[in-house]
Amino acid sequence: MAESRRTFLKQSAATVAAVSLTGCAPEAAGARAAETGGDALSRADDATPVPLPAETLRAVAEAVLPDELGEDGRERAVRAFERWSEALEPVAELSHAYLVPEIRYSGPDPRPGWVAQLDGIEKECESRHGVSLSDLGVSGRRELLVRPLADTGPDLGAPENADHVALALAAHFFGSAIAMDICYGRSIRRELCRSIEGAEDEPAPLGAAP
Amino acid sequence: MSRAASPAVGRAARRVVESDVCIIGGGITAAMVAERLAERTGASITVVEAGGRTVALGERSDTRARMLAYGENPWPNDHIRGQTGTGAMYNSMVVGGAAMHWGGAVPRFSPEDFRLRSLYGVASDWPISFDDIEPYYQEAEERIGVAGEQGPPEYDPRSKPYPMPPLPLSYSLERMREWTERTDIPFWTQPWARNTEPWQGRNVCRRCDTCFVCPTGAKYTPDFSFDRLLAGGRIDLVTRTLVRRLRLEPGSDRIAMAEAIDRDAPDEPVEFRAGTFVIASGHAWSSHLLLLSANPRFPNGLANRTGNVGRYMTAHWYLAGFIDLPMRLYPGMFVYNSLLSRRFASPGPLDRYVRHDLRLWESTVGRAPKIMDDDGKLLWGDEIMADWRARTESESTARIRAYYDLLPDRDSRLTLDPARANELGDPMPRIDYRPAQESVDLQEHTIETISGRFKELARAAGGSMRSIGQPSELWEHPGGGCRMGDDPATSVVDRWGRTHDHENLFVVGAPTIVSGGCANGTLTFCALSLMSAEEMENELPSA
Repeated sequence: MAESRRTFLKQSAATVAAVSLTGCAPEAAGARAAETGGDALSRADDATPVPLPAETLRAVAEAVLPDELGEDGRERAVRAFERWSEALEPVAELSHAYLVPEIRYSGPDPRPGWVAQLDGIEKECESRHGVSLSDLGVSGRRELLVRPLADTGPDLGAPENADHVALALAAHFFGSAIAMDICYGRSIRRELCRSIEGAEDEPAPLGAAP
Repeated sequence: MSRAASPAVGRAARRVVESDVCIIGGGITAAMVAERLAERTGASITVVEAGGRTVALGERSDTRARMLAYGENPWPNDHIRGQTGTGAMYNSMVVGGAAMHWGGAVPRFSPEDFRLRSLYGVASDWPISFDDIEPYYQEAEERIGVAGEQGPPEYDPRSKPYPMPPLPLSYSLERMREWTERTDIPFWTQPWARNTEPWQGRNVCRRCDTCFVCPTGAKYTPDFSFDRLLAGGRIDLVTRTLVRRLRLEPGSDRIAMAEAIDRDAPDEPVEFRAGTFVIASGHAWSSHLLLLSANPRFPNGLANRTGNVGRYMTAHWYLAGFIDLPMRLYPGMFVYNSLLSRRFASPGPLDRYVRHDLRLWESTVGRAPKIMDDDGKLLWGDEIMADWRARTESESTARIRAYYDLLPDRDSRLTLDPARANELGDPMPRIDYRPAQESVDLQEHTIETISGRFKELARAAGGSMRSIGQPSELWEHPGGGCRMGDDPATSVVDRWGRTHDHENLFVVGAPTIVSGGCANGTLTFCALSLMSAEEMENELPSA
C-alpha cells in the first residue's frame, strides 16, 4: 500500500489543472469541467505571485512540448501550467506517508527561481545569438536548454520539485490526464469522477462522442 | 446524552463530564462501539477525541484537487504538533482517526489466522475462532457498507452475502483476470468499503480514484457514523480534548475517571467519569495511555499486572514485484480496484509454514513518460511522446504484492520514550517491532515461495518479471500491545476486550489482535470492537 500510494501521488501531481487542457479533444472540455465540479485551484492566502515571463515561457514550451498539440493546444498547456504555478503554496503540509509519524512539508516557492531561469536563458540567448529566445529556432532553443536539463535523470517527476522551469513545464504537461489520453489515443480520463458503469469497457478513441 | 457537565468543588476549575460509557478515541473502532451501544442500549455515551473536525464532505473536492495537483494533505491539521512517537504508527488525530485516510480495503482474516499454533505449530492461537467472529464481520460489513464479490467458499467463507454487489472491474482488470484464469490460482475482487448502491444515505462510488479522500462520500469514513449519532442525540462528541491519564476508584481496581486537557482551554482540566471506559485509540495510543496511567497500585501501568501491555506488537510484511504483460492495458480507468486471491492464506497442510495473500493492480511502472531514453539522450516534445507510445502500445505492467504474516515476539514492544515528550511533558510512545525467531527462520522460505508464485503468474501471462523488490520491512496494518487471551499471564484483555485487571475497562480493536494475519486489518479491528460492545451491553441500561 505504501508504495502504491506514494507512486500514485507522484504520478498524479498536476493533473487537475490539466482538466481544462483539452488540446486533442476540445469537444469534451465542457463535459469535463462540469463533471469535476469546478476543481479550480486557488491559494488560501492573498499572495500575488510574481508572473513568469510570458513570452520566454512560451518560447520554452515550443522546445519541450509536442508539436502535435498544435499552437492552440500548446497555449492551453502553458496557461494550465501558469494557473497551476500561481496557485502553488510553498511549504504546504503534504499527504501523510503511510505509517510514517513525521509530518512532511513541500519545499520553498520554486517560482522565483523559475523566473530567474527564464530571465537568464533570455539573456544568454541574446548574448550568444543576438536575438530573443522566441526569435531563435527551436533547435537553437533546445541547445540552450541541454545544459540545465542534462542532470535531471530519466524521470519527469512532479513539477513542483523540478530544478528547472523547462522540466517543470514538461512534467506538468506529460503528467496530466490529457497527455495520457493523447499517448494512448483513448479517452481514459484519469481521475475524473464518473459512474462506475462502463468501467469494464475499453476506453473510446479520442474524438469519439463522450 | 451525558449528564450535565459541572465544575468540581474544592480544586482548581475542573470540568466534569459524566456518562455511562466513555469512549476514548474517535476513529473507526470507536464509531463501531458507539453505534452499537447507541442502538442497543439506553446508555449515555461520551466519545472523547484528541483531534478536531476535519474538512466537511462538501469541501473534499477542493482538498482533493490540491492533493492531486501538489500532493498536499487533503485532511489539513489532522494531527497534534508534538503528539507523535517513534516507529511505524499513524499520526492522524482527528474525528474519524486514521480511517479518514484509508483506501477502504476490507478483507476478512482467514479461519487459519485464529489457529496458527493448532494448525501449524507456530505463534499462538487466538482465544476466539473464525466462527466466533464471523457474525461480527458481517455486522461490521453492514455498518460500514461493503461491496464485495464472493470468492471460492473454501478461501472466502461467509454465512451471508456481502451487503452490496462488487465494484466492477476496469477494462484492464478484466484482461488481467483472464490472464490469471490460465493458472490454478483463483482471483476475485477485493472487497471495499465503497458503495455500489446507495447506502445509509451516502452516494454510489464514482471511481474518482482518490479513495484516500473520497469527494462523494461513497467510501465509508467514521465521521459519517458520528454525525448520524449526533443528529439523533445519542452521543456526546468532545473534540480537541486529550486524555492523559486514567485514574482508579479509591481502594478499587475499577477505573473512576479519565483525566484530560481541553486543548482550547489548557488551564481547565476535564474529568470524564463513567461506569464503563473503552480505549479505542488504535495500536499505539491505547497501550500508551495504559502505560502513562501508572500509579502506586499498578506501577508498570494499568492493565499491566503481568507486564504484557505494549508487547507482541504485530503486523505483516510484504513482497512486491512488477510483471511485464504482452497486452495493452489502459491505466487510470479505475486505479483503486484490484484483484485478490486468498488461496494461500488457507493453504491446507504444509510441510513448512508460509501463508500469504496475492493482490494484482494495473501499473504505470516502466510505462510513464521519460525525458531521457535508455542511452541518456535528452528527449524533446514529440520524442517524449513517441518513446512513451512505444512502451505502451502493446505491453503493460501489472503490480503484484503478497502480504505475509509476521509472528510477533514478546519483545516486539511499545514503551514510553524518555527522550521524546509532547508539549505537556508526557513521554511519547516508541515502538520497536521485532519478529519472533521462528518468523526470522521462515523468512527465506517465505520469500522463495512467494517469488516462485509471482514467476508462475508471469509465465502464465506469456510475460516476465520486470522486478521483484526486497521484502518490505514496514509493519503494515499494525496491531497488538494489548493482546487478547484466556490466560492473564500472557495477555492483557480477554476475548471480549475486557482488561483482566479492571472490570470496567475495555480495549478494543487493533491492540487486541494476537497476530497480524496476511490481510488488511481494519475489518477485523471493527469486528472485534463489535464483539466487545456486545459484552458491554450486558451491563448497561437497556434501550
